[in-house]
Amino acid sequence: MGETKTTGKAEKPPRPIEILRDRMGGVSKELQASVKEQGRIRKALRSALAGGPRTVPELGAQCELPTPDVLWHLMAMRRYGEVVEAGEAGDYVRYALKGSE
Amino acid sequence: MADIRTRYDALVIGGGITGMQAALDLGEQGYDVLLIEKYASIGGIMVGLNKVFPTLDCSSCICTPRMAESSHHAHIQVQTWAEVRQVEPEGDGFVARIERKARYVDEDTCIGCSKCELVCPVDVPHEFDQCLGARRAIYIPHGNAIPQKAVLDVEHCIFCGKCEKVCPTECIVFDQEPEMVETRVGAVIVATGLDITPMGKKPEYGGGRFLNVMNPLAMERVQSSNGPYGRVLRPSDGKIPRKIAYVQCAGSRDRSIGIPYCSRVCCMYALKQALLLRHYIHDVEVTLYHMDIRAFGKGYEQFYRRTMNEGVRVIKGKVATINEVENNDVVVRVELLDEGGRVEEHRYDLVVLAQGLVPAWHAHGVVACAEADDGFMATPEAKINPSYTTLVGVYVAGVAAGPKDIPDAIVEAGEAAMAAAGRLQRIGWHRAPAAAAAAH
Repeated sequence: MGETKTTGKAEKPPRPIEILRDRMGGVSKELQASVKEQGRIRKALRSALAGGPRTVPELGAQCELPTPDVLWHLMAMRRYGEVVEAGEAGDYVRYALKGSE
Repeated sequence: MADIRTRYDALVIGGGITGMQAALDLGEQGYDVLLIEKYASIGGIMVGLNKVFPTLDCSSCICTPRMAESSHHAHIQVQTWAEVRQVEPEGDGFVARIERKARYVDEDTCIGCSKCELVCPVDVPHEFDQCLGARRAIYIPHGNAIPQKAVLDVEHCIFCGKCEKVCPTECIVFDQEPEMVETRVGAVIVATGLDITPMGKKPEYGGGRFLNVMNPLAMERVQSSNGPYGRVLRPSDGKIPRKIAYVQCAGSRDRSIGIPYCSRVCCMYALKQALLLRHYIHDVEVTLYHMDIRAFGKGYEQFYRRTMNEGVRVIKGKVATINEVENNDVVVRVELLDEGGRVEEHRYDLVVLAQGLVPAWHAHGVVACAEADDGFMATPEAKINPSYTTLVGVYVAGVAAGPKDIPDAIVEAGEAAMAAAGRLQRIGWHRAPAAAAAAH
């Protein structure tokens, strides 16, 4: 007759977030890649803006990123309080890290 | 969040300006209304518009009082993030089956503090801003949203749990599930509003392919003070556009795309946007190419004249093609109708396609109301009872019945509410079931 080995610790029931994650089949590879890419782009933009205010084309050239992507990420950073406008340069707006302008 | 009761006087499908007005017109008469909205906030298209024509009043400033009134009205129960799945006749009234989608947030305890949104690490293109701006995976729909409650987009959630940790009221409910509820109503008003013609309908215009060929709702958001850029910029590189063209009838009056009707509002919204661009951008050149201008409403012709007087170039011309050139600029090839069909090409920073209106919702499979050939709800008594559908007791108002502007939609909402009220009186639905039984 086999014996059940007990550790003395009761197994914790899964938390609601874990249940939902399992129900959704975990985090998709596409979403993981997208979040990773978001982190990479934000890091590059922050680093470039640390050197002073930049326009979208300037950031695109410096970070080697397409300008539509730069604009979208910059506007996300602006919406959530990380980036502000810092004047204009010809037909473009200059953006700066908040607090550095 | 209040439970959906087993009985109301009327069900209003759609929480845009038309649905809210119909609900208010019924609620003010003492009828109990259930207002169902598929999005996480009421307000519909109107709350996202910049200004309204011809008065140039702030659109959300007109819409938000209606939203607040609907949401606080003693006789109106607003249910957002829900969809009507079926409406079937039963006895004198209808039984409605409604899906309450999982918000993953307890609406009763969420205080709309945004802490969850601020800490969420996932940015997602925001539908409210036509995907030009960002929201988070957990977010409050927008600044004017009612209710000011968060909603979790579970498709973009990475289950990091940061929102749960930071929430001061512990309102994140990851194990919330969608539920199907059933209720009985004496009348139904369909106020499901509009979509715009898909941008890719006319491939020769490059909609959906060229970054600087924009749809008119995107331009509304770009012009809005709370829009994605905070000022007017073009999407390809954030340039302040100095040369902008509007192409009229880009999604209506065109048999080749299956939309032969005039959408009625495109001339006016384009003229309004064009005029505002002249106000917002110093020295901007705005040209509007049209087949003919239809300025049919009160004060609209005067507004059209004002737009031209303030420097918008309005040219009778049929745009043949739009092509993208270097720097994502766009070249418009146009046949000038007042100059014997002479063809010209002009280069622009940005082009807005005046897309037409199509129905946002179809009754098929939900309620047995017929649609007209154009896809909008059929209104067989359009001349004398414009809100009547082909099913007695189900009424329609606003763009769900056909393209129209905001004033006409509001008038129609009132008409539908009166028609529904008349029916509720006729069938004796308004009285409580017990009182109605005693009267028999």
